[in-house]
Amino acid sequence: MQINKLILNQFRNYEKATLEFSDQINCFTGLNGMGKTNLLDAIYYLCMTKSNFNQSDKHVVQHEKDFFRLEGHFLRKDKKETVAVKAVLGKKKIIERNEIPYKRMAEHIGLFPVVIIKPEDTLIATGSSEERRKFLDNTLSQLDQDYLKHLIVYTKILKQRNASLKDFAKRNFYDEALIESYNEQLVEPAQYIFETRKTFVDHFHPVFLKYYKIISKEQEVVNCKYVSQLLENQLQELLIQNKDKDKYSTRTNAGIHKDDIDFFIRDFELKKFASQGQLKSFILAMKLAQYDFLAEKGSTKPILLLDDIFDKLDTNRVKQLIELVGRENFGQTFISDTGADRLTNILEEVGLEFRHFLVDNGTINN
Amino acid sequence: MNFSSKLIERAVEGFSSLPGVGKKSALRYVLHLLKQDEDATKEIAAAISELKANIKECDRCHNISDTKTCSICNNDLRKQQTVCVVETIRDVMAIEETGQFRGLYHVLGGVISPLDGVGPNELNIDSLIDRIAKENIKELIMAVSPTIDGDTTIYYISKKITDPTVSVSTLARGISFGGELEYADEVTLGRSIVGRIPYSNDNKK
Repeated sequence: MQINKLILNQFRNYEKATLEFSDQINCFTGLNGMGKTNLLDAIYYLCMTKSNFNQSDKHVVQHEKDFFRLEGHFLRKDKKETVAVKAVLGKKKIIERNEIPYKRMAEHIGLFPVVIIKPEDTLIATGSSEERRKFLDNTLSQLDQDYLKHLIVYTKILKQRNASLKDFAKRNFYDEALIESYNEQLVEPAQYIFETRKTFVDHFHPVFLKYYKIISKEQEVVNCKYVSQLLENQLQELLIQNKDKDKYSTRTNAGIHKDDIDFFIRDFELKKFASQGQLKSFILAMKLAQYDFLAEKGSTKPILLLDDIFDKLDTNRVKQLIELVGRENFGQTFISDTGADRLTNILEEVGLEFRHFLVDNGTINN
Repeated sequence: MNFSSKLIERAVEGFSSLPGVGKKSALRYVLHLLKQDEDATKEIAAAISELKANIKECDRCHNISDTKTCSICNNDLRKQQTVCVVETIRDVMAIEETGQFRGLYHVLGGVISPLDGVGPNELNIDSLIDRIAKENIKELIMAVSPTIDGDTTIYYISKKITDPTVSVSTLARGISFGGELEYADEVTLGRSIVGRIPYSNDNKK
């Protein structure tokens, strides 16, 4: 799958811009704050129906404007397709595929798969468990529509359950039947999400190992282990066990929203013992494995977005990375960097075809 | 808009407060009424003011009513032991329109949604549970929206029913009548296959 043309209108620092891409490698270079990442985010938005960097569209629309529009011309399974996002602040945004608006935007997820690799990814290893669940959800939602549906349902029920626990505490009262109603509704989506995540981590591990070996050039054994309360017990039981705890803490203490992944290098916990370099290699391997996994199991090869590629990597490592994504199992790739020459030099050295865009405060030259 | 008369302005404002009525339509109604006999306008005014002053909520099912209990509850010919549970009075009207149901109703007033400040106590659930025992109700048909909150409400009510002989059913969920399969969304089509019904000539009715 590839994007051939991108049209931005009042998106972040772009008043109006149209870009035509190479189906191989595209480079965005320019100084900090000039809008390289915004271009990557525009592509991400068209694939995932939301920004990778901001939760709210208020921050996505150009400063002091009240709407933005994105349009992408894709080639998916040898067919031309158009995806458009129209967002007016204060209104429900509209996403169209081939000029037909979606009734439910979740239906779009997975049709145009995308993987973004960015400096903040180290949070997957060092941040809270939420970051690791996001990684799981991002990958699995793009592969399995049912996973996404169950996740949406689970999240909604969980919010209602927590809201009623808070309401009970405020009114000094407890309605067992209501909590039990929510418990019963949580079981089915939780079980589906649990089983899908568990199978995924098992299948993901060998792919991840393969990329870690290529990137770190070391034979260290790395491991990832899926952690879930549901491995030990059925959710229904867990919810009963946590009844009093839930009551006092006014939130739900058991469920797949507590899941985590533990990472190890040679039996040592990654979070505590890894060096910056090891950490970076680890995360890069994970994200490339995510790409590989999506390309392998999904319907079409994802677009790869590499934000700020030189972050914590020296020239040799960047060269190695570019050689890797230049191979045929990777598809269309977008790379951003602050220095123009060092990136293009490497690309020329490696002998890859690329298109170069110079980004300067909302204007683009190629 | 500039009006030469404060009276017209007041009437226009009144009409334009209605859903789906803008200033221009409101003005059209007002000018039309001006051309009518005084009796005709009085009749409309009386209808509106009496509506609000005299309408009641049925003691038994919470439907709207002119009397203490509504005309549906007062109708002895309807099955007294079958109750259809709905969210709003509009749902009562919609089901009555089908002509397929000859039992009684119970209007909940919404579905459970703590995030919107609607817990079981904000709905007519306790009165439903009371009715089941008092009126010896044997069957509940849950005709609430097929949403997560609708499901919660059904779960909750069925947990509150202590009498095991009361049967609880929900509306069938599936392909709409006269619809085409290729246009049905996957969830609906999937449910329709799982919840398929045995074929008999009765289905053709």
